[in-house]
Amino acid sequence: MIWRKTWRELFAIAIAYVLILEALAVPVLLLWPDIYADLQRSSLFQNLGVDFLKRIADAVSTSDEDIAYRNWCATMLLFRSCNLVATAAAVLVGTGLFARERENGTFEFLLARPVSRASLLWQKVWPSALVVTTPIFVVNASAIPWSWTLDLDLPRWELFLASLHAAVFALAFLLLTTWVSIVLRVQAHVAAVVGAFAVVQIGIYMTQRIRRFSLFRLVDFDWYGPVLAGNTPAWQMFDPFRSHGYTTYLSLACAALYLLCLRSLRRSEP
Amino acid sequence: MTDALVDARALRKDYGQQPVLRGIDLRIATGELLGLIGPNGAGKSTLLRCLIGLVQPSAGQLSLFGLDPRDAALAIRRHTSYLPGETGVYRHLTGRQFLEFALGFYPGRNRDLERRLLEEFQLPLRDRVRNYSAGMKQKLALVATLVPDVELYLLDEPDRMLDASVRFFLRGVLRELRAADKTILLSSHHLSEVETLADRLSFLLDGRLVPEAHVAAARARLRRRPRIRLKPGRELPPGGHIVRTESDGVLVVETDGDPMRWLQSASGDAIASVEIGVERLEDLYQLLLAGGDGAAP
Repeated sequence: MIWRKTWRELFAIAIAYVLILEALAVPVLLLWPDIYADLQRSSLFQNLGVDFLKRIADAVSTSDEDIAYRNWCATMLLFRSCNLVATAAAVLVGTGLFARERENGTFEFLLARPVSRASLLWQKVWPSALVVTTPIFVVNASAIPWSWTLDLDLPRWELFLASLHAAVFALAFLLLTTWVSIVLRVQAHVAAVVGAFAVVQIGIYMTQRIRRFSLFRLVDFDWYGPVLAGNTPAWQMFDPFRSHGYTTYLSLACAALYLLCLRSLRRSEP
Repeated sequence: MTDALVDARALRKDYGQQPVLRGIDLRIATGELLGLIGPNGAGKSTLLRCLIGLVQPSAGQLSLFGLDPRDAALAIRRHTSYLPGETGVYRHLTGRQFLEFALGFYPGRNRDLERRLLEEFQLPLRDRVRNYSAGMKQKLALVATLVPDVELYLLDEPDRMLDASVRFFLRGVLRELRAADKTILLSSHHLSEVETLADRLSFLLDGRLVPEAHVAAARARLRRRPRIRLKPGRELPPGGHIVRTESDGVLVVETDGDPMRWLQSASGDAIASVEIGVERLEDLYQLLLAGGDGAAP
């Protein structure tokens, strides 16, 4: 029952989110031949002062067009669109999950139903998680047929792995926002706190000396590029002992945040 | 363990340093309708929230259906329907969708009561709740609370924002539930209405339940206070003193001795009109709050 209501509340957001992601993806894919030609001719990008931008420029202008195109997709679909839009969607969806109930005076009504807090949380989180993560897979998968129009191809398994990683990151942001939404009582406050956190993380990422401390380091081009190029096999994404294991760390963070949400919800009073 | 369906002993609830419930002893028998009366901020809503397990008591013992809400809130809620003090209805749903959502949590529902409530309330169930007036939202919340077929109903000011005819209808519904051996705890500001309905009244003031003897004494004292209007230019006859002057010029008077005797001796030349036996809830609170035996005559 609660999941149906949650789904009803999120349906419009889900549609808008898919359309935005797709609208961001299609032009950058279809413009690829022109961009690649320009990159081959221009030395502008080679002289960029910011190191990660220079690495991206190098990667997308490499002479092997297949590899260059994969790097382009890693940059534009995953590094740009997913980090920007999926994070925003996670914050938007998570903000309303509990703070809106408090603002509308329905939180007490909901808590008084014969349903456990664990079930209440689960029935609110899983539709939200689907809304936030599914479009990442759908839109990234749609890049495959779009690429065919350019006589190019994208590796399905690698694209799935990269999308999975992006989805787990978005899920972590959703759960973080959900937790703040349980703790704080006003939606605007939740959005301000999580938004400020995201801005600070982006600021850290943009500062070269402290970049390694930014959460966005886990989802930047240096991660997606090798995954999509096939240089980071699945075990390296998940094995924290023999490799980075970033996806595992993000998954553990999701689990920890979910438990934190549950603990806070169990303690919360109307 | 007692036979009481609701049993609270020395129940306390503090918010930080602020005590809200200061040792409540309350027992409600199965099939009883208890009226809980108290001014705003007395702790009525907090008490109801403790009973349904939404708020954890700071101290004391509490059991409903023989279960402690701290451990078995979910089991208690399966047998309890609760109307919060703040009308909680989803504005983006239609009235019908809201009812299906709210009633879907309970295994059984009283179909006949549902039909009669909807017939009486005439709610536009196909419209979104955001278009409802405050009174309509309260009616919708009432349907969602009264229709589940449970043993215990906790109603926090159910008559809020309802007009007189609907309140009258609601009284009939509560009588029916009471006759069906349902247990009801009804919190309200309307003393006279609750009094006609309830098996028993409990007054909650400043986080404490006032002993029944004190309430009875205070009410007797109130009923003996004449409400008089003096003739122009006349002063209050000796033997009485003014407790309060109301905005319409009516004086509430307390007499040294028997008020009837005082009225008989004074009414001829000074008093234009007199009323006696009127109880104002505010006056009753004031008397009870005077503390300890201050309520005694």
